[in-house]
Amino acid sequence: MLLLTATLAEPQHFSVAEKLLLVVLVAASAGGFWLRFRVVLNKILRSKKDASFHLFPIGKRVWDFVWEVAFQAKVIRQRPLPGLAHAFVFWGFCAFVLVTLNHFASGFGAGFLDPAGPFGRFYYGFAAVFALACAVGILGLFIRRFVVRPKWLGKELSYQSGFIAFLIFLLMVTYLAAFFVSDADPATRVLWWVHTLALLTFLPIIPHTKHLHLVLSPATVFLSRGGFSRIPPLDGDDDFGLIAGTDLTRLVSLQAYSCVECGRCTEHCPAANTGKLLNPKEVILGLRGYLNDLGPKSEEPLLGKYTPPQVPFQCTTCGACEFQCPVGIEHLPILIGLRRGAVNTGAWEDDHGAKLFLALERGANAHGLPTSERDKFIRRAGLPIFDGTQEYCLWLGCMGGYDPKGREIIADFARVMNYLGASFGVLREEKCCGDPVRRLGNDFVFQQLAEANLKALAQDKVKRVVSICPHCVRTLQEDWKDYGTPPPVEHHSEFLARFADKLPKRSNRRVELSLNEPQPLAANSLARYPREAGANSPHLSKSQPQPPLSTGNEDKIVFHDPCYLGRYRNVYKQPRTVVKLSGELVEAPRNHERSFCCGAGGGLVFLGDETGERIGKVRAAELVATGASVIGTACPFCNSIFRDALAEQGEGAPQLLDIAQLTARGLPVSGAS
Amino acid sequence: MKIIVAIKQVPERDAQVRIDAAAKWIEESGLQHALNESDAYALEEALQLKEKNGGEVVVLIAGPERVGPTIREALAKGADRAIHIDCADLGKLDALGVARLLAAAIKPESPDLVLTGLQSDDLGQGQTGVILAELLGLPHSSLILHVEKTDAGLTVKRELEEGWFQTIELPAPAVLTIQSGGNKLRYATLMGIKRARSKPVLQVAEAELAIDAAPVVVLERVALPQKQKSTQILSGTPKDAAAALVEKLKFEARVL
Repeated sequence: MLLLTATLAEPQHFSVAEKLLLVVLVAASAGGFWLRFRVVLNKILRSKKDASFHLFPIGKRVWDFVWEVAFQAKVIRQRPLPGLAHAFVFWGFCAFVLVTLNHFASGFGAGFLDPAGPFGRFYYGFAAVFALACAVGILGLFIRRFVVRPKWLGKELSYQSGFIAFLIFLLMVTYLAAFFVSDADPATRVLWWVHTLALLTFLPIIPHTKHLHLVLSPATVFLSRGGFSRIPPLDGDDDFGLIAGTDLTRLVSLQAYSCVECGRCTEHCPAANTGKLLNPKEVILGLRGYLNDLGPKSEEPLLGKYTPPQVPFQCTTCGACEFQCPVGIEHLPILIGLRRGAVNTGAWEDDHGAKLFLALERGANAHGLPTSERDKFIRRAGLPIFDGTQEYCLWLGCMGGYDPKGREIIADFARVMNYLGASFGVLREEKCCGDPVRRLGNDFVFQQLAEANLKALAQDKVKRVVSICPHCVRTLQEDWKDYGTPPPVEHHSEFLARFADKLPKRSNRRVELSLNEPQPLAANSLARYPREAGANSPHLSKSQPQPPLSTGNEDKIVFHDPCYLGRYRNVYKQPRTVVKLSGELVEAPRNHERSFCCGAGGGLVFLGDETGERIGKVRAAELVATGASVIGTACPFCNSIFRDALAEQGEGAPQLLDIAQLTARGLPVSGAS
Repeated sequence: MKIIVAIKQVPERDAQVRIDAAAKWIEESGLQHALNESDAYALEEALQLKEKNGGEVVVLIAGPERVGPTIREALAKGADRAIHIDCADLGKLDALGVARLLAAAIKPESPDLVLTGLQSDDLGQGQTGVILAELLGLPHSSLILHVEKTDAGLTVKRELEEGWFQTIELPAPAVLTIQSGGNKLRYATLMGIKRARSKPVLQVAEAELAIDAAPVVVLERVALPQKQKSTQILSGTPKDAAAALVEKLKFEARVL
């Protein structure tokens, strides 16, 4: 190949005038950069310190940095084509550091990389490969931005981005072209100067455009809060969340300036995709606008001109934005921080919200039902009370203790636990875990609930907790840590997957028939779970056998990843293992970490009607379109939302079953007379 | 406008109530307590009046030490200060005794308005507010949903039977007993709770008020209601079942 044999041409001599001009230009460019960058740096450094920030343990930070920045893994993985194009540009820049240093040094006659020397020859060739990749990459990105124009990049064309792309392309082309000329050729000098000018023009554009991410995002990724949706504890008696500029911490300001406006957050946001006002990118840019105009010492409210007050309250806290963000912005602590600011001061006025808060200030559950309802259910379902001797504490949660469908899931999961011989009990008194108030930013009620529950668990000497609700799991395990030490908590999908070997596998059922084993369930066992098994569903009356719903073929089950199990807990495999025991697993178009929220999270299920399209309806339609005969869920909130959405579909709707129910219907009927 | 809101702490709404050994009162140990519901509405009405007309909201409560959280809740929601009449056992007093305690604490404050809940969720006598007005020598009105301050005094909206309302005018100061549901209650906030810490709570010993607390109404016995529900399932054809039902309604239930 030509590049391997060719040598990079460099002008051999620079006149004094040229050198002087170079000094002036470099000084002007660097000065222009610094004057603008200083302003940004000042805004970040003058922001409030992050009280709960710890640099150590540093291992994860280094790993995140290597994986996300150096390898560009997240950028590529979530958007392979543009991601790869971006990675080529980034790696090209990295390879060019040495080339650029030598470029300017040679201008002053102090070049240290001899293009003809063995290392110089190798390195210039090496850089040329990256230059080529970078040129192709930036061309691809240019075409995407100006020809393909995906909607999340915004309606307005950014000519600045076009200009930057042109400069990068020019840098690479002028570098590559120098391989095709000789040192003495006057074109060499022209190429050298064009390359220099392109670079010196690029530098001062960085600080006031989204290209600032070049400088800031490596730091942003390295300095993350160290956990998904890690909500920082309030700092002292005057911290109520994000109210004004004075509440913005250095991390928040750094993140606001790091945004590269790629719109991945918007692309995946359930609110932005169903006609709500919330657009996570605009929230971040709103903070940046606030900092630019008013700065971090301003007492002006954050909610208002830059971010409309209702915007944070449209967030389901599904976390798709934070998960997708390639520059390390942590949207959830920001959105929840804005809610905290509004709720902890009483500025947020919402009838449904106030009702939820009042229910949890006084009572024990988010539904506002008397606790005797839970007691009645425990008695009726014959659930044992936890007395310290059992291995597991089965956490009921508001859905499991009070919601008709949630209770069915608990009853079925209890059957499975009994079948497996796992000893368990439920708490005599259990309060809401506090998930809805935590996400809505009511720190007062959350603290009350967390402390009361931690006390109850400690009093009963609970060693392990298992729950059917990913929201409870996350809140118990992570959020309660602000107020004590919770016992280990697992989601029932994790529990069931651990015992997968001991659970009946549907397709093998006929083979399993033997004298010693309990009589396996025939196809008509399905009848125990007719479609839309609600509170009053006929499956409770055993005198009326239902016709089998399945005709012997395996069920096609589409599994919906709950946000709080997937993105929050990184549990994807276990529920699928469980689903596969009951039928053929099919995937929705958006699955695993790209799963689309059901719309219930962030306390939204307790608030009033959504504006725009209903998120749950959109997701339910997507699940139905897979043609699956069963929708498998692993969260009672998703289940409840889909129950409503499927009701509109009438008779043709697929069955809706939690993974515990899928498992339970495969159990032998022993004991059920 | 200085408003005094007399509130009470009662057992939580869905508490499992047990009768104590002497069958004179309920077993208090292990019981959770909360602000009486209609008192919460009285407080809300007072806070809204203050937001509109300015002034001060003072909460007044009689009870043992356990009323502390209820006082803080009221202060957190926006009351300016509190008076706590330390009274170890409210159960030994009758409505007159409680009203005497409250009146003795209110008199030196000379408020422009006294609000209290219509009735307590535990005893439900609906007497205290009315007697309080008598003891203070002030006009009163009960079952109030809404209060408005006017130049002449007060305009209040009362609830009558069957969805009827009555609007009346009365001079201030007055004592009003507030019905639940007239307003939307506000939620407690972290900021409110923190601010409440520095708000003054005046502790008054029961003895200091020097009232004659000897009850004129004596509680004889407390009992849980007998479970009387009995369900019968009538079998047979719908026609036979209907005939049997009519028979039973006529001769057993005697409602036809």
